[in-house]
Order: sequence, then structure tokens, then C-alpha cells
Amino acid sequence: MTRLDSWLDQATRRLSRDSAAQVRAEIKEHYESAREAATSRGATADDADQQAIAALGDARTANCQYRKVLLTAAEARILRQGNWEARAICSRVWLKRTLVALPLAALIAATVFFLMGSLETARILLIAGLGTSLLFAAPMLPVYTPSRSRIYRVVKGLAIVAMLTLVFGSDALKWSWLLISCLWPVFWVERTRASIRRKLQVADWPKQLYL
Amino acid sequence: MNFKGTLPTLILEALRHEPNHGYRIAQQIKERSQGVLDFKEGTLYPALHKLENEGLVKSHNSIENGRPRRYYRITESGRKALSKDRAHWREVSQAVTIILGEARQ
Repeated sequence: MTRLDSWLDQATRRLSRDSAAQVRAEIKEHYESAREAATSRGATADDADQQAIAALGDARTANCQYRKVLLTAAEARILRQGNWEARAICSRVWLKRTLVALPLAALIAATVFFLMGSLETARILLIAGLGTSLLFAAPMLPVYTPSRSRIYRVVKGLAIVAMLTLVFGSDALKWSWLLISCLWPVFWVERTRASIRRKLQVADWPKQLYL
Repeated sequence: MNFKGTLPTLILEALRHEPNHGYRIAQQIKERSQGVLDFKEGTLYPALHKLENEGLVKSHNSIENGRPRRYYRITESGRKALSKDRAHWREVSQAVTIILGEARQ
């Protein structure tokens, strides 16, 4: 393994396959230019190689900086999974219609039960309506600009808080262990999505990043 | 010399007149600062990617002397950001000069 290969292995650690390929290409290009320049100044092949690697600096520092601006393997996986889910739903019209109708039906039923005075059933249906609308109906909404996306995310946050309040009410503190253990994957995915948004240009955002 | 935080501005300045590839951008910064601003070249590309994500530079592939090269060019928003950074830097350097000048007396 050459010095450059081991430098690249460290610098591309935990990056996605595409990001790693991009880094390898640009650093190889840079290294070749630096080596040629050193050789033309009279350095031997080994010295030129050493100088070119030294000029690149610490591979771990570069890796840290690359991970802040290029997609990591975990982020690429989340994007792939999200794209698969969206394709699975959007490619079947009947499924798409059912998933839009489901939360709507739940919300209408909740209103009816509320008017009939059956508060407990209305509460359960409202929770189901809010939950299914967040899960299923959101991908069908016309959210395709960053400003709409921000508004949607605020509404989503409020809906989640409303749902939790309806489910736990004043017992929220007592059940906080359950809330934290159930919600951390949601927070983790949201955090990863925020990081992906920073790394991709808006033109390259898939639908799931707007949500 | 450590010039953390100013690398993106120096890159934008290096691209102000013409598009360039990474190696030449690094050499230009070193040469124009007469070797004072010496940085590790491995950190140049993450900075370039960040500028590209922010829409301040754009890149395209090209062939130079039979070798594939990735060229970067400054965008209109990049020029605006550069003039803002330049004004900010003037203010900061003026303030530091005043403080250090006072300290010497």
C-alpha cells in the first residue's frame, strides 16, 4: 500500500461510497500535481512523494472536515431507505389514495364522536388521525421549497407535541422514560436529515428532505 | 501561520479573476501571501465543497494536458459574499492594528 493509499483510507473513513470516490479522485489529482512540481524542482521520486503527502497534512483532520461537508455512509443509507419508501407508496395509486384517506377519515370520525359526546373515542381517533397524517399523508403534500419545508417541520413538531399530550396528558413526566426511548430514533433521523440538508444543494434534495 | 476561518474567503479571492483547479488555488494563496499563509492542502477541498454547497462556487470537470481536472468558478453570490468578507476583514484588521498599536506605546 502506498503512502497516498493509506492517507486516502484514513481521509475517507465513514464517508459514503460516492463521497469517498470523489475525495479519492480530487486528492489523487492534487497529489500528482504536487509530485510533478516537486520533481521539476529537482526532488527524487521518493522525496517528491513524501513532500506531496506532507503538503496534504493530517488525514484524520481532513476526514473530520470531509464528514462535515460530504455525505457519510449513514446519511447515504437514510437517503436510500427514504427514497425506497417514497417510491413504494407513490408508485401505487390505490395505496396513495388510501393513505391520504385514512387520516382524513380518522379526523372526521373524531369530530363526529366528539359532537356525540364520546370524548374518549374522539381522543383515540384524533391521536390516530394525527399520527397517520404525519406518517402517510405528508409525502403527498405540496412541500417542495425550503420555506414550505420549514413551515411543515414546525407544524410536524406541534402535531407530535399535541399527539403526546393527548396520549399521556398530565402523566407525561411519569412516562418520560418511555417517551425518550421511543422518540430518540425520531430525533436521530431528524438530526441526520438536517445534516444532509446542509450538505446537499436544494436542487438535489429528494422529497423526503423537505419533510 | 494559522488563519482558521479565512480560508473560504481566500479561496473566493483566488477564483475572482478566473476559474481554477484545487492545486492551483492552493499555490496561488501561498504565493500571494509570500509563504506566510501556509496551510495543509488536504483541508482545501472540504472548504471548496462547503462553498459549493452554499452556492458560492460551481465546479465542472475538464481535461488539462490529458489529465482530468475539476475546475471551480465563483458565482454571483460568491462575489457578493467576497465583497462582504473583504469589508468585514478591513474592519477587523483596522481594530486589531489600533489595539496592537496602542499596546506598543
